[in-house]
Amino acid sequence: MKRQNVAVIGVGQTQFRARYDEKTYPELAQQAVTLTLKDAGITMDEVDAVIFSMAPTTFMGVNDADKWAVDYVWARGKPFMRVHTGGATGGSAFQAAYSHVASGQYNTVLVVGADRLTETPDAQYVLNLIWDQFYEQDFALNTVTMTALAAQRYMSKYGTTEEQYANVVVRARRNAMNNPSAHLKGDIKIEDVLQSPRVSWPYKRFDICPRSAGAAAMILTTEHLARERCSRPAFVTGTAGVSNTVFMGDRMGPYADTDFADFSELKSAARECFRQAGITDLMRQIQTVEIYDPFSSFQFPQLESLGFCESGTAQKLSDEGVFDMDGQLPVNPSGGTLCTNPIGVTGLVRALEAARQVMGKSEAMQVKNTHNALATAIGGSTQFFTVTMLSDEPRSVALAA
Amino acid sequence: MDVYVIGVATHPAEDAVRNMRLEEMVYKTARAALDQAGVLRSQIDHVTLAACDEIDARGITSMLLAAPAGAYLKDEMRVTDSGLTGLHLGAMRVASGDLGLGLVVSWNQSAVVPLEDIARIRAEPFFLRPIAMNFAIAEGLYANQVLNNNNWSETQVAAQVHALMAVAQRNPRAVKRPVKSIDEISTTEMLAYPLRVGHRAPITDGAVAMVLASGDWVRKHPDIKPLAKIAATAWAVNRYQLDAQRLNDIDFFTQTMQLAITRAGLKSLDDLDFVELDSQNAWVDLMLSEVFKNASNVALSPSGGAWAQNPYFCTGLMNAAEAVLQVSDLAGANQIV
Repeated sequence: MKRQNVAVIGVGQTQFRARYDEKTYPELAQQAVTLTLKDAGITMDEVDAVIFSMAPTTFMGVNDADKWAVDYVWARGKPFMRVHTGGATGGSAFQAAYSHVASGQYNTVLVVGADRLTETPDAQYVLNLIWDQFYEQDFALNTVTMTALAAQRYMSKYGTTEEQYANVVVRARRNAMNNPSAHLKGDIKIEDVLQSPRVSWPYKRFDICPRSAGAAAMILTTEHLARERCSRPAFVTGTAGVSNTVFMGDRMGPYADTDFADFSELKSAARECFRQAGITDLMRQIQTVEIYDPFSSFQFPQLESLGFCESGTAQKLSDEGVFDMDGQLPVNPSGGTLCTNPIGVTGLVRALEAARQVMGKSEAMQVKNTHNALATAIGGSTQFFTVTMLSDEPRSVALAA
Repeated sequence: MDVYVIGVATHPAEDAVRNMRLEEMVYKTARAALDQAGVLRSQIDHVTLAACDEIDARGITSMLLAAPAGAYLKDEMRVTDSGLTGLHLGAMRVASGDLGLGLVVSWNQSAVVPLEDIARIRAEPFFLRPIAMNFAIAEGLYANQVLNNNNWSETQVAAQVHALMAVAQRNPRAVKRPVKSIDEISTTEMLAYPLRVGHRAPITDGAVAMVLASGDWVRKHPDIKPLAKIAATAWAVNRYQLDAQRLNDIDFFTQTMQLAITRAGLKSLDDLDFVELDSQNAWVDLMLSEVFKNASNVALSPSGGAWAQNPYFCTGLMNAAEAVLQVSDLAGANQIV
């Protein structure tokens, strides 16, 4: 079997909100599949395999809930696998789907995921369980306190202010007003962020993403079928990932390979993704990015490690409006993870929104003349990273350009 | 597929590994696979993990275990279905052409967790969980359906266990156990009619790792001889509800087997030398064995299958490891000639 170019031809997502009491988990996943099949203009009979995107099941209290969803997403009799890399799950699931087609094993695949974080009274109690039970759980580590430590280190290195983080939130909520699926949205001011209740320094409540419920799905297929089915498919031109040690203390200091304040392990994944996609001048060749930012502190180190700007400079560019919708590089036109975070699906939504930009389907969120859009996902103790490039032409053409 | 196995390692078989932490088991196994392949960790470009949070009692088990599995600063991905699914994804990642050399690693240390409770929480909360569905009850329902369809006697089922236990004891990688007599097996405690305790393969702790390489990588490294080619993969999922239709149905198994044979360029089951079946109990093993009843030259589970060792989550990948050892003539005492 020969390697194949891969493209996205259909996407679908539910509206994201705090609760879906009127639907069960598999019904939520089914809704996303229905929307996606309609968008792609195909039926499940034409889908060869299904990849399920689902992070920790403890939020819902049903182990392996993906298997509960098998009949609902019409996967019976098809190859089926669940991918789970924590917060990076959706990014990894998308890349697993890509491998199904790129390898020549399958022609058309569905990647789908759903999450409902508010099934549990407090997701952060559950997220404490991701840590080692002997050494770390007692420190009250969770995803908020964990990333607050990294944010403090970043602020110390580069002099970042709470106002600069607040500006990221203001931009995200403003962008989300154009996104009918977004969970949080609104025209807020920097003062609103600064005056929201303190959670873990430097974070206030508005610096932190919501706990969202919802589902998303995408259809990936071969270049040949994509050209038949879709007037403007989004080709997958770069896929890469990197995994680091769980221990944050091993990611700082003079002997560390990487620095957890900078997300510097992301550099190697970005390099590989751009090599595959033929990207050499990021600011010129990439028109928009959908990056994983569940906290206001996640955008600056990511944009720097991806290579859009030098270390410690993203905050200034942010202040100057470079990352606004009318700036040189619109960041998260959808509002991003700060506005919507169904953890097991969030990375998939990033890829979905990047694909929509390339396909010209982003409506009010559309960034004009998008040829290349980048999506990231991050998981674990900010230790799992995926980088994915969506483009309007397949890889061979991109490489030749 | 133009994908090759160049290294394989299995953790020494034990009913319960109590003298080391899981990350030590995983590290030693991944290390051994790399050593067998004759490659350094710095040479690999990716790792595919297969592991279950609930069995490992962690929210995201790969957070701690990715690094000992060899994935530190590597492109890593994880599936949660089974060890064998990890091999399927790992092979596709290599076949995609973007990655050339990688590890597939899976593990199971279920001796320290209540596996049946984990199974119970797998059941959806509306219908199945209130009836206390778990592995034992699910297997009992399946066994009952097999009994209704085939009218096999308890003695035949016990004889199947006895035969598999005997084969397993020739496998140098098996847990060493006395082979129970048919009478002993037939009189073990009834678990969920007609499934007896003695019908089930004992669950063990264990870990498996394989080093996969693309055809391009293999051709550029003529000094490294592949152990096996992954000629084909195929898999499918059945429906969730355990109703009569599902319990009667091994069509997907048959169809998937046929697809793998076709993809491998073979004509029929008769072209196979052996099959390693993943059967958690003798009722399932008998049912799956029926598929091969007309293929008389096919040896079934020459390793002893799950009766050799049964690290529940990665038993499928353990079977694949046994298959690699067979085709590379490294199986040892249970080698098929």
